[in-house]
Amino acid sequence: MNTRSGTTNTKILIAVFVAVVISILAIVKLDTTGKKGSGLGKEFTYDLTDLGKIDPNLILYEESAPAIVTGFSVSHAIAVASDGSIYIAGDKAVRIFAESGDLLGEIKLADTPACLTVADDGKIYIGIKDHVEIYDGQGKRLATWQSLGDDAVLTSIAVSKKDVFIADAGNRIVHHLDTTGRLINRIGGKDKDRNIPGFVIPSPYFDLAVARDGLLRVTNPGQHRIEAYTFEGDLEFSWGRFSAGIEGFCGCCNPVNFAILQNENFVTCEKGLIRVKIYDPDGTFVGVVAGPEQLVEGGSSRISEFGPDSQAGGFDVAVNTKGRIFVLDTIKNVVRKFTRTSPKK
Amino acid sequence: MSKHTEQTPDRRQLLKAALRYGTLGLLGATGGATLFPKQKSAAQNTVWQIDPEICVACGNCATYCVLEESAVKCVHAYAMCGYCRICFGFFGPEPLDINEGAENQLCPTGAIKRTFVENPYYEYTIDESLCMGCGKCVKGCNTFGNGSLYLQVRHDRCLNCNECSIAAACPSGAYKRVPADKPYLLKKVDSAE
Repeated sequence: MNTRSGTTNTKILIAVFVAVVISILAIVKLDTTGKKGSGLGKEFTYDLTDLGKIDPNLILYEESAPAIVTGFSVSHAIAVASDGSIYIAGDKAVRIFAESGDLLGEIKLADTPACLTVADDGKIYIGIKDHVEIYDGQGKRLATWQSLGDDAVLTSIAVSKKDVFIADAGNRIVHHLDTTGRLINRIGGKDKDRNIPGFVIPSPYFDLAVARDGLLRVTNPGQHRIEAYTFEGDLEFSWGRFSAGIEGFCGCCNPVNFAILQNENFVTCEKGLIRVKIYDPDGTFVGVVAGPEQLVEGGSSRISEFGPDSQAGGFDVAVNTKGRIFVLDTIKNVVRKFTRTSPKK
Repeated sequence: MSKHTEQTPDRRQLLKAALRYGTLGLLGATGGATLFPKQKSAAQNTVWQIDPEICVACGNCATYCVLEESAVKCVHAYAMCGYCRICFGFFGPEPLDINEGAENQLCPTGAIKRTFVENPYYEYTIDESLCMGCGKCVKGCNTFGNGSLYLQVRHDRCLNCNECSIAAACPSGAYKRVPADKPYLLKKVDSAE
């Protein structure tokens, strides 16, 4: 009897042991939280890590000072005035900073500004949805121009003496006005007779600036290039091409923004794979200001991990007369300052 | 008296019986859960759906669904789409050429079809019979484009399990119970930036 009882006890013990082992294995093997990942193979993962890496020899700039904290929850555009003041459009205001980061002033607005520029006479031109408002340096509104249409989505403004150019992503056109707001002409509309292919703007990033050669430069992001127009609307030339490589513009629609340095080189901003780069006036790649590893927290491995920052990354850029580059980080809403370290060209 | 005493179960027998029936009960419960995981939700007026603003397209939807072929599919908000010639939801980050060759496509199963509209615009449609819900195109589209491609639970396939195994494995908490009469969380044009 004792022997039978002993055998039974042993069986129970073995059964309990096996049950415990199975339970432990189940807990270890099962993943009820998904933290172990999908288990999908490499062909199913979207990895831009290698593309985000940039040869350090190509990086010509360094972050030279602490970033300016704009204090905005959403920021859209940056401009630098001729006196070096930095203007940031965000939330429902324009804030003015010294290069040191000190807040110099604020212009409160009724709506969210999308773009701005500061003319040589100090007037501040602000694009708000479908129209332009003009302010003086003290924040007094001088004029409100009429709407450019229900579909207008203003994304950039440039002023050159008596000419004002407004990039309208909604209508895929550049409005050319005088400083009183009178329409002179429209530039860049598809026109077979003038050999103008038209702007391709898949997302509301459409930038322009007047270069020192007197030609208007406009991005054509869907075609991955920057185009040069006369003020009369003739397309003179263009440069830029699609490439995931560092010398080209990556993604569906880039560059999103640009600025022109005193030496007439271009500073371009790309979204997606966030890169700020330098091109000479003919469009030859010169070097890199900063890449994903410098501009995105966590480096290149994080660039495709979208979430709350999804769709962010359309950084804006401006330059001052000393060649310093200011990048408006629209994810963190700060302005990052870059200075050239190794002038090679 | 002594006979009566012999029939009274002692503590060891009681323990054995409890263990035996307990094990049987446990086996029954486990077997039931394994064999019938597809019971409809008690909450018949709600269904599972993915909030596209929270989803991070981690790929778990492709592998955690109890169905052999996931109920999660990529869908397309055409009103948000840029109809790009070089769509990064369609092309890999470094395409060899800009054409529909399989080697240039991002989707591992070739579930996205590219159709010429007019120069330079193309339309992109999802072949749901090929889509497995891995979300690779969603990442490409959201990283570079307007985010018009996104994942949704397709209710012609979803079994609406009480305990959705994808919801349990969703790292961003994007799975929600939504009213059955409004079973989709669709992206709107305003979502594009």
